[in-house]
Amino acid sequence: MTFLLRQLSRTAEGREIVRATKVERDTVTIGRASGSDIIVPDLAVAPQHAVIARKGARRISVTAETGFKVEIDGRATSAGEIDVTRGGEVVVGDARIMVARDGDGAIVLTVTRTAVDAEADDESVFSLAHVLPGKRPMVYVLIATVLAIFLVWPIWHFARPADPQGGRIQADRSWTPGPLSAAHHGLEGNCKACHVQAFVAVRDTACVSCHKDVHDHAPPARLATARSPLGLGGRILASWAGAFNKPDRGACVDCHREHEGAGPMPPTPQVFCADCHTALKDRLADTRIGNAGDFGTVHPQFRPLVAAAPGAQPVLARVTIGPGLREANGLKFPHMLHLDMRGGVARMAQTLKGRYGFSDALACADCHKPTADGARFLPVDMERDCKMCHSLGFDRIGGTVRTLRHGDIAQMIADLRAMYRSTGPDRPLELGGMARRRPGQYAQGQVYHAWFGAAATRPGSADAAIRQVFSQGGACYDCHVVTPPGTNGSIDWGVVPVRQPSRYLMHGWFDHAAHSTQSCASCHAAGKSRDAADVLVPGIETCRSCHGGEGSAAKVPSSCAMCHSYHQKQDAPWRSRRRLSPAATPEAALPGGGRAP
Amino acid sequence: MSTTSRQRSGGPNHDGFLRHAGFRWLKVALALSGVAILAYALIDVQPRPNGGSWYGYTLGTIATLLILWLTLLGVRKRAMTAGRWSLKGWTSAHVYLGLSLIVIATLHTGFQFGWNVHTLAYALMMLVIASGVWGIAAYAFVPRMLSDNREELTQPQMRDALRAIDRQLNDAAQPLDPADAAIVDRSIDQDPFGGGLWRRLTGHDPRCATAAAQEAIRERIGSRPDSATDPLDRVDALLERKAGMLTRLRRHLRLKAMLEIWLYVHVPITFALIAALTAHIVSVFFYW
Repeated sequence: MTFLLRQLSRTAEGREIVRATKVERDTVTIGRASGSDIIVPDLAVAPQHAVIARKGARRISVTAETGFKVEIDGRATSAGEIDVTRGGEVVVGDARIMVARDGDGAIVLTVTRTAVDAEADDESVFSLAHVLPGKRPMVYVLIATVLAIFLVWPIWHFARPADPQGGRIQADRSWTPGPLSAAHHGLEGNCKACHVQAFVAVRDTACVSCHKDVHDHAPPARLATARSPLGLGGRILASWAGAFNKPDRGACVDCHREHEGAGPMPPTPQVFCADCHTALKDRLADTRIGNAGDFGTVHPQFRPLVAAAPGAQPVLARVTIGPGLREANGLKFPHMLHLDMRGGVARMAQTLKGRYGFSDALACADCHKPTADGARFLPVDMERDCKMCHSLGFDRIGGTVRTLRHGDIAQMIADLRAMYRSTGPDRPLELGGMARRRPGQYAQGQVYHAWFGAAATRPGSADAAIRQVFSQGGACYDCHVVTPPGTNGSIDWGVVPVRQPSRYLMHGWFDHAAHSTQSCASCHAAGKSRDAADVLVPGIETCRSCHGGEGSAAKVPSSCAMCHSYHQKQDAPWRSRRRLSPAATPEAALPGGGRAP
Repeated sequence: MSTTSRQRSGGPNHDGFLRHAGFRWLKVALALSGVAILAYALIDVQPRPNGGSWYGYTLGTIATLLILWLTLLGVRKRAMTAGRWSLKGWTSAHVYLGLSLIVIATLHTGFQFGWNVHTLAYALMMLVIASGVWGIAAYAFVPRMLSDNREELTQPQMRDALRAIDRQLNDAAQPLDPADAAIVDRSIDQDPFGGGLWRRLTGHDPRCATAAAQEAIRERIGSRPDSATDPLDRVDALLERKAGMLTRLRRHLRLKAMLEIWLYVHVPITFALIAALTAHIVSVFFYW
């Protein structure tokens, strides 16, 4: 009974060496221990790992030590048998034992050490390439990822029809160069609303598809004439813009720049107006507007709209502010008298202090009440603002003072007549109606004669009172321009309608509330005005004591958009609207009504 | 003047690419940045500076051309030439003009940033520049640290030393019982070059089998009576040597990683930047 052990090993050059030994026993021991028949110097192998024993002529058994395993024909097991005539393989640690039988009946166990993974000797293990993917694959993956997410997807999104639900992720959001202004916030993510066509710059048509009622600044032909010619730099830029298919000058987007950050759209800078208006008269000879390029330096004097002739339909004209500018407003009201600190008015104010909250003299606010938004002042109302001192009382019944009706001449006359009971006799019924009347009724004793006679012979003692009211020293005459009756002896008196405009500067916005830190007198020379006809609107030099052009060193640098609207609206202009209501979108109504009355 | 020319003509030229030609490209880059800043300050772009103004487009065009030219160093470096347009001069220009992009591209943004492809391109560009700066710094400092650490050992020597210790460990552990042998085996089996990027960059292996084996073996030794022939003592001594060698190897790998990592950012991110730049430019004209 022999086992023939053939141990194969390789030299450094790769030559195979065979060491053959015979074991004249029935068992062969395998293990790490030095006494084993087959020594496997693998630390994963037990000192006595397994035993191969002969079982009859054709079979051997392989038994592993308790707790260890061997691999027989590829299966890990603790024990097994092999038919030596068929052959087999036993693996213990890194030793591979081929089982066979030679011609002499000896069992041949051929032991090979599986090569311990010879680590590749290349230097690359020291480099980062050993632990990182190659640069080239990284490049391909990165390029593909970036282009897919940031180029292909947005374009695909653009090409698809709009989703009515709008639920899809806006792939082209990654393209937005910045948030839209508050006014257009609703269009955020809806790029196609303005960028209608690919590679075509935003056109005015996109704007006016929503802004349908925007007023043109002037007819396009005049606008084109008014524009200042481009300098060399401007021409170069314009040719570039043309080459890149940008719209011509004067497009909406020239002034209304978007994607400049959330919040209100920034006001249009002065230069956009100054371009045309600084030397407008040179290019547009027939214009009625003075040159204006900078409020502090190039701006015409204000031209308030004043009435040249009073009346129900006054003749209005814009007149340049200058010394002695007067307006026929139908009033007799010396501001100077009322604001005097020492005169009778002041004395009266002191007397009525407790009742009406006057100071030691009258102040502007005692008579002038601001509008709800504070931008302007309400027309002075006689009952509210004058009557504290200027009583229209004419009779006392019991403890109640009867007053003349203000603003309604007919009623006032009626009241006076009623007081004097000086109406004529009642008109007989027969004199009314459309029935034909027969001649003869004018005869003495007949109806006509009786009535006309009575009416004519009962002259009212009221007439004198009425005449007195409308005459010098009378209640009406003191404050109003009175039109005398047409015929002598008639009482057909009239009062010229009073003009109290709340706005004189029709093309420039002025907001009193914004100037609440200033006293009224710092702009309005009311204290020196002896005549109601004095126009107290201050001139530009007054404004310039604080306001200058956009880039000036004035206390309040003011661009055109502070007072003027490009699109010719009655609203507050762009910049002032922002001040009035920073949160509001420019198109939204102002709190308290920012519109001019 | 005469000194510098003598230096230049006589003896080998030791100027690196940073000092090339008396900092010529540093001066060019500074001039370029200075002009860009000055123009930015003087040109009044309304309503506020942005990449869509004419000056913004100008800066953007300059920056794009610069980026493309800088990328060409990858091609240019494969041909080492000397002379007026030497590779060194090219590299010098690459470094300084690349740094001037910080100014030019930042001014191009008009300091408007957001979560969009435009800022993505900018961020990638800054990442590329930062990695380049890291690379220059690494080339300046790391080689000395590498050679200090190696102490004249070459890389193959380092690896051979480890293998020798492993072989000795294998021999020394033969008498050990299976449990102890398994512990030592794990140390031998563990690939000292294994682990990912993080292990390379930190130089620490929290799952180091050698350290674990050392700890376990010491525990055994501690509880045994001292005998002169204990094989565990030999194993312990060998593990000690291996741990020391591993420390040196890991420091070496860490320094090498610091020397190489920037290129793994610089090159791939450059191409990601060019892709983002393409998307940036196309998107601007698409939604013109």
